[in-house]
Amino acid sequence: MHIGDGLIPLDQAAIYWIVALFFIALSLKWARNEMDEAKVPIFAALAAGIFAIQAMNIPIPWGTSGHMLGCVLAAIILGSPFAGVLIIALVLIVQGFLFADGGISVMGANILDMGVIASFTGYYAFKMLKGSFGMTTASFIGGWVGIVMGAEAVAIQMAIAGTFPLIQGMIWMGIYHAIIGIIGEGLITSIVVKSVMKTRPDLVASSSKVGVAA
Amino acid sequence: MNPQNRNIIIAGAAIAIFIAILAPFLASHNPDGLDKNIITLVGDGSKEKAKEIIEEKNKVAYEAPLSGYSIQGMDKSGKVIAILMGTVIMLVLGLGVSSLLKKKKWGTKGMN
Repeated sequence: MHIGDGLIPLDQAAIYWIVALFFIALSLKWARNEMDEAKVPIFAALAAGIFAIQAMNIPIPWGTSGHMLGCVLAAIILGSPFAGVLIIALVLIVQGFLFADGGISVMGANILDMGVIASFTGYYAFKMLKGSFGMTTASFIGGWVGIVMGAEAVAIQMAIAGTFPLIQGMIWMGIYHAIIGIIGEGLITSIVVKSVMKTRPDLVASSSKVGVAA
Repeated sequence: MNPQNRNIIIAGAAIAIFIAILAPFLASHNPDGLDKNIITLVGDGSKEKAKEIIEEKNKVAYEAPLSGYSIQGMDKSGKVIAILMGTVIMLVLGLGVSSLLKKKKWGTKGMN
């Protein structure tokens, strides 16, 4: 769902950049307070892994495809949606400037959709559900919520930009990413969280705040 | 960096590199959800028409060196190299940014 240059007028793109920069500043502040010796290698491994997995588009019906975002996974493992924001911002900078995956003028919009909105909605859905559903299921739903909300944010921006109509855009962005959210984001997020919980539960920041981890 | 943390980096890098090598072979070539919407809703089903309309509106002249995760003159192998390069860059960038921002714990062994 990377937005390319030309899809959003420059004045609107500038506003998205300003909001994105505000969240990047907050995510840097989060890192300043929370980053420690143990989180450094996880952060780097997540950044590399998320970049790689975003290059792997999964086929879905209607001759369409999509990839997972990975930001909800990063937020759950590192214990804050700001971790997702920071990693996605770094990934988008590299994707945009080196690989033309996502535009430059619209990078703020992409950071907002795939970083901020996906991370926050997905992480808080996970947080709300982990008590009653357990870590694995909550991770699955969190991942799904994150990518679907990010996709709907793109549809709304496209409608404001006048690129495509709101209702049709929201319906189709929703349908495509609801499927990618199940076979990609939800599945991979829950599998990774489950396997890290099994092997190194101490690495999952979100698990320490819950009494029993499923 | 202590051995335990080093192992995380090695394991993470191994998984990322594994995905990066497989990606060009396994990834779907179909347009993604947003591109599909653009083709249907902007180009009336024509990819070329959609491209033309958007190119006309585009005011950014920047050309990415490895556009589309490919290297000019190279086929699949170029894609593998491009995605691998990106993965390694992300690893270094992730390590650099998080190391720069991490809490300084004076007097601990991990300090550098």
